[in-house]
Amino acid sequence: MCVGYNPRPPVMPSTTAVTVHVPAQLRDSCGGARSLQVAAPTVRGALQELERRHPELYRSVCDETGAVRRHINVFVNKSHVRDLAGLATPLAPGDELTILPAVSGG
Amino acid sequence: MAERVIVSIGTKKGLFVAESSKKRRKFDLRGPFGAGVAVYATLIDTRTPPRIYASSCNAFFGMKLLRSTDLGQKFKETKATPAFPKEDGRALANIWALEPGDGKKDLYCGVEPASLFRSADGGDTWEMVGGLSNHEHARKWHPGNGGLCLHTILRDGERLHVGISTGGHYLSEDGGATFAASNSGVGAGFVPDPYPEYGQCVHKIAGHKDAPGRLYMQNHGGWAERPGIGVLRSDDHGRTWTSIAKGLPSDFGFPLAVHPHDPDTVYVVPLEVPSRASPNGAPAVWRTEDGGGRWRRLANGFPKKDSYFTVLRDGLAIDDRKSPALYLGTTTGQLWMGRDGGEEWSCLFDSLPPIHCVKVAVV
Repeated sequence: MCVGYNPRPPVMPSTTAVTVHVPAQLRDSCGGARSLQVAAPTVRGALQELERRHPELYRSVCDETGAVRRHINVFVNKSHVRDLAGLATPLAPGDELTILPAVSGG
Repeated sequence: MAERVIVSIGTKKGLFVAESSKKRRKFDLRGPFGAGVAVYATLIDTRTPPRIYASSCNAFFGMKLLRSTDLGQKFKETKATPAFPKEDGRALANIWALEPGDGKKDLYCGVEPASLFRSADGGDTWEMVGGLSNHEHARKWHPGNGGLCLHTILRDGERLHVGISTGGHYLSEDGGATFAASNSGVGAGFVPDPYPEYGQCVHKIAGHKDAPGRLYMQNHGGWAERPGIGVLRSDDHGRTWTSIAKGLPSDFGFPLAVHPHDPDTVYVVPLEVPSRASPNGAPAVWRTEDGGGRWRRLANGFPKKDSYFTVLRDGLAIDDRKSPALYLGTTTGQLWMGRDGGEEWSCLFDSLPPIHCVKVAVV
């Protein structure tokens, strides 16, 4: 007998299929897509998935520290993530994650 | 192709490129490129093939770097911009300086928060210059009103000078591997120690290729209790600095330019301290032709009253024609040209967005 052998399959981290809506200004950095499908358990996980698949898009949303840029707003469905749990906000199947530039400038 | 004068103008709303024949009688304007996005640094790289670069400080989506290979007919983003390592904890806020390096495609980039980056491929990939960016003083520098910016990069063989607001002047003598604060004689009016080791609010430093030991500095002057610390000169590669402000109406200002054919001829734009604008509403550039011994007011063609120009640290440039012209951009959106070394001024464009930076080259 092989000591330590576990016949059960490894437990995979849970992931959730959500839709990410991309603002018009950033669609060039993801092949023109208006929306993307990602599988992630949290907002942070969804952004990390964007970093892996579309690094230029990610850099336009987050800075080098991983923080969402000051003038970018991220919503889960109709709620701003700052009113939820920030980047730790959990995602449920079918959630819509919307990235929008803030109203500012002059 | 006949020689042309190219002026690259960074504004609050994008980059403009003005072009003229070498006689400089009429300039045509192109742009804005990166419309609506602030440009704080531009470079006309005259090495073959010539390229124009501009930072594009997008408040929403972060920094971009624009590059043109056709003298400003069109611009494309480079593949990357400088970025701090993930574990560093700092995030790029702005690009303030772009300068050519040694190799054909080498570039240096000064950023906010004050750090130095280097590219070996014309801006498509970047590496942080640790000797400056991770200097033991780096986490002690603090921002001035414009932000914590590394705004000046001067190369002189193995020597590399950088100017930081507020950090002071740093000198490398080993090609950028290591840096040391080099501010002897550079004063500060905003800390108890009038001559600190570092932390001065240096606004601009300029040199001359024919006199590498000679440097000029526009420092943050205008302090009643510490007069004369605003305009300085060094004759020993920036190791020590002495005041040359006597004779100026104010030692406060931002830009400084050196004549392309005479290292003793220098231009500054003195501003009133409270308003950061032209003294008494009468704009003028001041010139010395003896390295700062005497100064002369140059105002022919400028309005004589009711005009409050502010010219930022990179808002003054000079071309290298035999009789050079100066180019002065204001935060009220005017681009002025001063023919014959600033003897006669005329307004080239009077309603651009607020101007942050101006560069000129004859190509």
